Amino acid sequence: MNTERTIQEGLTRRQFLRGSTAGVGLAALATLLGAGSQRMLGGSPVPAHRLPRARRVIWLTQAGAPSQLDLFDHKPGLKTRFREELPDSIRRGQRLTGMTSGQKNFPVAPSPFAFRQHGPGGTWFSELLPHTASVADELCVIRSLHTEAINHDPAMTLLQTGSQVAGRPSLGSWLSYGLGSVNANLPAFVVLISRPSGPTNAQPLHERMWGAGFLPSVHQGVRFSPGRDPVLFLSNPTGVTDDRRRGMLDDLQALNAIKHAEWKDPEIETRIAQYELAYRMQAAVPELADLSGEPKSTFDLYGPESTKPGSFAANCILARRLAERDVRFIQLYHRGWDQHDSLPSGIRHQCHDTDQASAALVKDLRQRGLLDDTLVIWGGEFGRTVFSQGTLSETNFGRDHHPRCYSVWMAGGGIRGGITHGETDDFSYNVVRDPVHIHDLNATLLHCLGMDHERLTFRHQGRDFRLTDIHGNVVKELLA
Amino acid sequence: MFRWLAPWFYAATLLVARAARVDFNRDIRPVLSDTCFRCHGPDAGSRKAGLRLDQREAALTPLKSGSTAIVAGDPERSALIQRLQTTDPEEVMPPPDVHKPLTTAQVTLFRQWITEGAEYAAHWAFIPPSRPAIPTPPSGEVAAANPIDAFIRAQQAVHGLRPSPEADRSTLIRRWTLDLTGLPPTPEEVRAFVEDRGPQAAERVVDRLLASPRFGERMASDWLDVARFADSNGYQVDRDRELWAWRDWVIAAFNRNQPFDAFTVEQIAGDLLPQPTLEQRVATGFHRNHMINEEGGVIPEEFLAEYCADRVETTATVWLGLTFNCARCHDHKYDPVSQRDFYALLAFFHNVPEQGVGDYGANIRRSTPPFLKLASLDDEARIAGLQATLANGRASLTNLDAALAGDLLEWEHRGVPTNPAPAAEVLAALARTRDQRTPDDQQKILEFRRSVSPERVALVRRIKEIESAINAADLAIPVTLVMAEMEKPRPTFILRRGAYDQPGEAVSAATPEALPGFPADVPLNRLGLARWLVSPGHPLTARVTVNRFWQSFFGHGLVRTPGDFGSQGEWPTHPALLDWLATEFVDSGWDVKALVRRMVLSATYRQDSRTTPEALAADPENRWLARGARFRLSAEAIRDQALALGGLMAGRVGGPSVKPYHPPGLYEQVVAGSSANTYEQDHGESLYRRTLYTYWKRSVPNPSLLMFDMPFRETCTVRRSRTTTPLQALNLLNDPTYVEAARALAQRILREGGETAQARLSAGFRWVTARSPKPAELAVLLSGLRRTETSFRKNPSGAAEILSVGESRFDAGLDPAELAAWTLVASTLLNLDETVTRE
Repeated sequence: MNTERTIQEGLTRRQFLRGSTAGVGLAALATLLGAGSQRMLGGSPVPAHRLPRARRVIWLTQAGAPSQLDLFDHKPGLKTRFREELPDSIRRGQRLTGMTSGQKNFPVAPSPFAFRQHGPGGTWFSELLPHTASVADELCVIRSLHTEAINHDPAMTLLQTGSQVAGRPSLGSWLSYGLGSVNANLPAFVVLISRPSGPTNAQPLHERMWGAGFLPSVHQGVRFSPGRDPVLFLSNPTGVTDDRRRGMLDDLQALNAIKHAEWKDPEIETRIAQYELAYRMQAAVPELADLSGEPKSTFDLYGPESTKPGSFAANCILARRLAERDVRFIQLYHRGWDQHDSLPSGIRHQCHDTDQASAALVKDLRQRGLLDDTLVIWGGEFGRTVFSQGTLSETNFGRDHHPRCYSVWMAGGGIRGGITHGETDDFSYNVVRDPVHIHDLNATLLHCLGMDHERLTFRHQGRDFRLTDIHGNVVKELLA
Repeated sequence: MFRWLAPWFYAATLLVARAARVDFNRDIRPVLSDTCFRCHGPDAGSRKAGLRLDQREAALTPLKSGSTAIVAGDPERSALIQRLQTTDPEEVMPPPDVHKPLTTAQVTLFRQWITEGAEYAAHWAFIPPSRPAIPTPPSGEVAAANPIDAFIRAQQAVHGLRPSPEADRSTLIRRWTLDLTGLPPTPEEVRAFVEDRGPQAAERVVDRLLASPRFGERMASDWLDVARFADSNGYQVDRDRELWAWRDWVIAAFNRNQPFDAFTVEQIAGDLLPQPTLEQRVATGFHRNHMINEEGGVIPEEFLAEYCADRVETTATVWLGLTFNCARCHDHKYDPVSQRDFYALLAFFHNVPEQGVGDYGANIRRSTPPFLKLASLDDEARIAGLQATLANGRASLTNLDAALAGDLLEWEHRGVPTNPAPAAEVLAALARTRDQRTPDDQQKILEFRRSVSPERVALVRRIKEIESAINAADLAIPVTLVMAEMEKPRPTFILRRGAYDQPGEAVSAATPEALPGFPADVPLNRLGLARWLVSPGHPLTARVTVNRFWQSFFGHGLVRTPGDFGSQGEWPTHPALLDWLATEFVDSGWDVKALVRRMVLSATYRQDSRTTPEALAADPENRWLARGARFRLSAEAIRDQALALGGLMAGRVGGPSVKPYHPPGLYEQVVAGSSANTYEQDHGESLYRRTLYTYWKRSVPNPSLLMFDMPFRETCTVRRSRTTTPLQALNLLNDPTYVEAARALAQRILREGGETAQARLSAGFRWVTARSPKPAELAVLLSGLRRTETSFRKNPSGAAEILSVGESRFDAGLDPAELAAWTLVASTLLNLDETVTRE
């Protein structure tokens, strides 16, 4: 498969020729540009397999695993079972992590939070998510997602790459590879990471989670950070003004063009094009990352946290700005959901950080007409156990990792809003109806983007690898 | 950039094929493998309709359905052909949902093959190479001196191509120096070679480079990828580990030209050699480079299974060129590797006295045994001294205790001290008369006396201090992870679907059935396995190894899938050359430097790398090597080159990894809230060490190197991607590493480059590219220099700013505006396409 592509929007002659004084360089460059065959990296678009409903994805990754029992998966029957032992008929000897496998008891910890139905579909949300509940009509809540991994690193790796074993490409890099970039000034796959504002057990992340695996490394996610350089090495060194930089680049490009005239290696053209793209990024990225031009209404919508650079809420605004600029895959990570103890207070902090901004993002995309072709997903790498890890009291408990069922929501880009999909047993322990595996979720996501998950392949070690490995079914019930 | 099999390659293959008999391995097997083996191949578990097409006998046997897939000599009666040709979507093969329809040309080839008797052949890579005859040139042409060129020219002739002339001497010496040492040549070295008109000038250069200690560093870089070397454990906690002593062993092994068979044996099983040396045990760190999980909730058995599987997969990729990971959960779909083979190989690696989970509570030097302590003589002397002191202290304590017990009554009569007051039970014991006292009472009184004896308290404190000093001294000793063998091996089972908790049938250690048998005279352990890998007549090891060396110097392997020599791998572009090199390599005693020397002295290697649109169209990927290879430098070479050109490089070989400049904030965003969540940059010499010594943290690898395609080092990598991206441009333009290097280069130019701007520009250009600039190039540089200098003179504060980047001081004797202008010119030079490319 050809991993190169031609961009429509090439370099402009003016940019190149301004300030350049070398005769031969000029002539060579003019020939180069006149050919109209600048080669660009950043994608090898596979022709769409079907008409896409979504053009881009915003994945609001809640790292550490939010408790489905306290947010989405309402189990009113548990109230009367406080401290009862989890029945063997439910646990069925399924494996536990090393953190609770030594526990003598597995006492049921009902959620202390009140649940209410919202929206036309009567979707259940806990009181911790008032803002999310307010966009219930747009959300499809999946309560039957499941995974195999029970520890963070393998589980996050599975969620992001379709395999627990490190080395496969991440979802975003698959999309960069499959869909290519539509913005000539920005990468196709952008990663934004926020830290929780409260004191929590923030599980570490790993560059692999947005890595390109065995795909060409150009498809790797690009981390945007708060501060002077949203993209690494974006700013010129102090003392190098834009004029000086542009002049130097003109010289550089003229010299490279002279080289190309003699050597004829197409890689030289690629490098010339990439230096121009770098220069354009130096203007485009700060413009994108600068929220000072956003009206007060934006910050009101996304909540008080949104004025703090690097917060989840600020990143949600950035995500909308990236979506407006047609970046293909925007992945936010918010850490701090790993509540092995003190869950009630910990989860409040997390919801304070994320609830309003997540809902605001959906509203904001909708009001700008972007929700129709932007797929938004919210969720973590697994769920949490119904039984308490450690001491259980009326007001305090912890929950261990639970892979057998958990909840996420999706919205926009081809997804049916206002519905709830799948069902778990009375203990939110096992899926009893409409199970959705992570592979199914990924197959569905690709479907929304017009891709057939069985046909988006890359040959590695003699095998045509897929994001969904040999698994995955599109969950038709989720589609609008 | 790389591409997978281009359509023209198939077309060329077909053209060749039609002219002669069909070659099963070249023409039929790849198609069968890619489109049919998934359901009709070696994996019995997924076989459909009872049909097996990877073995002739099975393919020719009538099926239960009554039809016969292949009737030799009769395509019309062969169900295979009918099913390939039908338009009925229910009948056609491969099924439409596989999305791999055969072309008409391919079907025609199948017909021809069946007509010709449907002969099968064993997959080429499983047949031991026999030394091919060196091709003779057409009459009238001179035979090539280097056999490599004879093989290459014979293939070029088939494709109507002619070799390119030899590259300029300046290009050549830069190519050799970068390829063999990862560094640019010095101006003196360039001049000496350009002016050396004597015979054997090329050989002199190459021999000098092969003898340089830089050669070992350069070759080690490739091997560190293969071995998945890193400075941290990977997975979520990702604490540091120590394996740099193993890395240094690799450098030394290349430098002393250790034969590749010994290099193999020591890394896989150095600990099992008779009376192994320290170095041989350090070498076994190869198979401790895999990731190790220290996450709290981990189930140890699950990750022990991961580590062992990683060793199997790595060993298979590196030495066998086979994709064993496919057979972890089921029989291989394409190659004759069964799931049993996978676990039988795993049994060799399953006997390490290791834990499935690292001990997060322990110091990193103790958390993942087995390890060796690398105590220096000083360390040993210091600890021995402390231990002697400790022994003295303990002896004094014994004596003192005896004395304290001996005159307990006298002490009591002298009056028991009351500050601190004795505990109630001690008072009770004291209150009893001697006759009433139990031994326990006596003991309590004695313990009280000890606790209030100032002499004893001081002595005990002193002993504790010495003990903790010994402990600290012990922990200060670097360690290196190694392999070791448990006395009683762990049992190994075939894991159903690869799941650690689903053991099936027990297996014992064995090599794969489809490969040569295990020699009778070697032990059935890792040492035997290592000896088997490098046994004469092994079909894979030498081929796979010479192919990787070829890739290092020609940009691509002769087999372009260096990790897959199986039936899904690419057909070698030059099968005879590959076999000749492999047999020659073994016959030479696995002499790595001789192999490399032969490759880089070949006329094929020495060709000019210029191309033309016509040549590009004729052979876009340069498979037939009618021009020199031209490709971007590795991440390591790009940085090392800049450091060397600026005169900044610290040349010390080996030692613990170092932490050069690094953008702030990267760790804080993703690393857990522990002490390891900030990158603590080093200072001084450590900023300028060669890049292979840069600290590599798996969860947050050095971002600049990652941008230039360094792999994550989580799993074995035998080929890096080679990309060109805007982030690379930003890195080379703005990273303090390169801004500082540009300033250092500018200082060198101003001090040593001559008097006039032209002379200085020529010198700088020559140092960076090894050639003189053309007038047009000089004109661009000169106008850039004038413009920039004017700009900095107008605004001198900008000059001071750019000159202060980096921790090395700028030369205050130079005019800041001038130096700043030259810094931007030097940066231009360091960013040239030519500079980051090995031409």
